[in-house]
Amino acid sequence: MNFAAENFSFNPECAALRPWLMDFAEGTLPAAETAQVVAHLPGCPACQRELAQLRTLFQAFDATPAELPPLALRENFLALLVREKAALGQQGSIHQVSSSDAASAGNDKFVPLRAVRGDQPLTPSTATYAPETTTAASRLRTQQWLRIAASVALVAVGAALGLLFRFTGRVGEAPLAAAPTATAQLASQLTAAAQRPATATDRLRLVEEVPTKLAPNDPAVQALIHTLDADPNPNVRLAACEALFRLRADPRVGPALVEALPLQTDPNVQITLIEMLVALREKRAVPQLEQLSRQPGALPAVRQQAASGLGQLI
Amino acid sequence: MIAADVQLSESDETLMSRVRADELDQLTPLFERYHGPLFGFLCRLQGSAGNREVAQDLTQNVFERVLKYRASYQPGQPFRAWIYQLARHVHADHWQRQKPPAQDLDTVERTAAHGRAAQAQRQAHDQTQGLHEALALLPAPQREILVLHRFQGFDYAEIGQLLGCSAGAARVKAHRALEALRQVYFQ
Repeated sequence: MNFAAENFSFNPECAALRPWLMDFAEGTLPAAETAQVVAHLPGCPACQRELAQLRTLFQAFDATPAELPPLALRENFLALLVREKAALGQQGSIHQVSSSDAASAGNDKFVPLRAVRGDQPLTPSTATYAPETTTAASRLRTQQWLRIAASVALVAVGAALGLLFRFTGRVGEAPLAAAPTATAQLASQLTAAAQRPATATDRLRLVEEVPTKLAPNDPAVQALIHTLDADPNPNVRLAACEALFRLRADPRVGPALVEALPLQTDPNVQITLIEMLVALREKRAVPQLEQLSRQPGALPAVRQQAASGLGQLI
Repeated sequence: MIAADVQLSESDETLMSRVRADELDQLTPLFERYHGPLFGFLCRLQGSAGNREVAQDLTQNVFERVLKYRASYQPGQPFRAWIYQLARHVHADHWQRQKPPAQDLDTVERTAAHGRAAQAQRQAHDQTQGLHEALALLPAPQREILVLHRFQGFDYAEIGQLLGCSAGAARVKAHRALEALRQVYFQ
């Protein structure tokens, strides 16, 4: 037993202050306790000694250099990754492990097709090649979704235009002139369609029929918002989303798009909504975007879109 | 370059979720962020110097397990705690096979005797060496908590998460471990 420990056992004040000395040495002790320690220290050589020892220990911890990992660790890891990817049957995407990496990994058969460009070996640093791969891959995926979404929307627009041609015969001048009555009817149809069983195609057609301009407070906007929030079909929700974006001059649209975001689970709708919110510079969407960017259940591409949207909004 | 910067700022959890979804390349940035700290952790956890080779194997093993058990990662769960938990298991498995050094009743005596030896040696070594020797003489659980807190920068809440106790309990354990270290170091 050392002297300090003996002293503590006989001095109740030391015993009481002893647990605080570590935090005191680190400067993390609350003010009230700090004052007590400061008052006690001058008259107590044992506590002074323990404090000095603790400070020496902390200095030793701080002075300890980080253990540098051997370079072979990275090489082995890259070889492991190559093996796992091969096992997964994955094709190396846009970037592959560089030729030197693959060679050092002892996997010559995986030397990538694009390991050499213009007789210059590609030697991307490990810090940059993987990130580019991901960005490109997820961008590709987003583009694919948007392409699918766009084709669905195009088919819907085509069908709606066809119907309009057939029934009105004068598409060009109809919407604006007949707006108040036609859209009021449209709103009731949309509401009715949401309440009654109607096919997704019918609902899609109705949504697509909403013109680009409406009278202020037109109930069609509210009906579209309801469709966006509640329609069971993602394509109909997507069309409602796009129709609302065309009606963005209406003050109800911005907040409705913001509120719709957390309700959506379909990645196409989520990504489209995020893009629209960013295009509208809708800063009220920031909390929702933050939440979505961290939401465990969301697809990585959606979270990335949310994070990227967040970056453009804040 | 901008794309790379954006990607580099991606959270560990996002990257690991992608690894979980079989985007295995996403493990590379996580490897870059963690292999150094994990190597240091596994070096120091062993409690004796000169075991860099073992630490290298164990670090490699951690990343193998990350790939093997990637489906067990729950999206959103703190990645650092998850991978350190894997590292602890890798370390425990290794020493289970290797017959770990005794940590029972004779620890106190060994500690005292070796402490004196350590002190004598410390005259000729620098502060860091002395610290490593003192750490090596601590029981493994105390050494681990100090390594996590002092070298790896874990707060008490994170340590509690790893050890399955509250942050308050982790704090008490860390204080006890530091006190034990002080006794050994200055004995």
